[in-house]
Amino acid sequence: MQKGIKYATFIFALILVFSPSATAIDHRELSEEEVGIVSQNCSSIKVRLQRVQKDDARNRVFLGSQYETIASKLMLNLNLRLVKNGMASASLAEQQTTFMSERDRFKNDFIGYSQEFENLLNMNCKDEPEKFYRQLELVRAKRADVDASMQRLKSIISLHYESVTDLRNNL
Amino acid sequence: MSEEEKKDITPEQTTEEEKPRQIHGGRNLMILGIGAIAIAMITTSVSLYFYRSSGDIYLDRSRPGYISDGEKHDDEDEGDEDFSNEGEVTQEVLDEYLTELDSINGRLRAHENNFSADQLSDDALGIYQPTEEYF
Repeated sequence: MQKGIKYATFIFALILVFSPSATAIDHRELSEEEVGIVSQNCSSIKVRLQRVQKDDARNRVFLGSQYETIASKLMLNLNLRLVKNGMASASLAEQQTTFMSERDRFKNDFIGYSQEFENLLNMNCKDEPEKFYRQLELVRAKRADVDASMQRLKSIISLHYESVTDLRNNL
Repeated sequence: MSEEEKKDITPEQTTEEEKPRQIHGGRNLMILGIGAIAIAMITTSVSLYFYRSSGDIYLDRSRPGYISDGEKHDDEDEGDEDFSNEGEVTQEVLDEYLTELDSINGRLRAHENNFSADQLSDDALGIYQPTEEYF
């Protein structure tokens, strides 16, 4: 079982290291009617976007603090304690490293997303609705990267939980 | 130089050393002030450039107008999970660890859709999505 977790951690880490930030953009051509709607509702669309931007900032702060607690107060301390007791676990140490790298990636993905979001808010959707919509599609793709990073962190936490449970049962 | 030769020298021919040094106090003070302002503006601009380009501006919650204390999540201050790096490793200790990890995980699960695509969908933003009947 422990060997299985070790292999799973190793493969998971490899996938994370070699998986590029996707940012796949699915372009959709707006109909004439939609172009008119974007142009007409420009100010109300921007108000909604600003609300999302504020929510995102709060969410990032919350998630960042939780990830920081897991990395520095739990994972790190557990590994130190295991080392001090001569029970160092390679898979748990690797999970800690992978988690920290992925946390940094989450932060960088969020920065990239925020920069594009700000560019979107600075655009003139009244006069250039099509350009605005293309930028919106880019922002959506960047948001998907942030979400994917969150899901990867979630998977690492689940894997870590399983590994510690396994260690506990083998004591 | 003889006395006669000295007499022949006109005021324009007086050497620099012999001229009384003029001190432009007001002008120097102005140069100092403008220089200090220019240096401050350059260094501030460079700092702001790096603050923005590094992305710290998007992570800095103390940025004016970004997030106030009243706007943070209710569960942000919840929990004081910590695990000591000292002591034995027993089943009870690991149970405690798992409880703490599960507690944070529970909070994270409640926020797992924070960055879902819904908030930026055409519907959410009020952009008309044509139905099949439209075509």
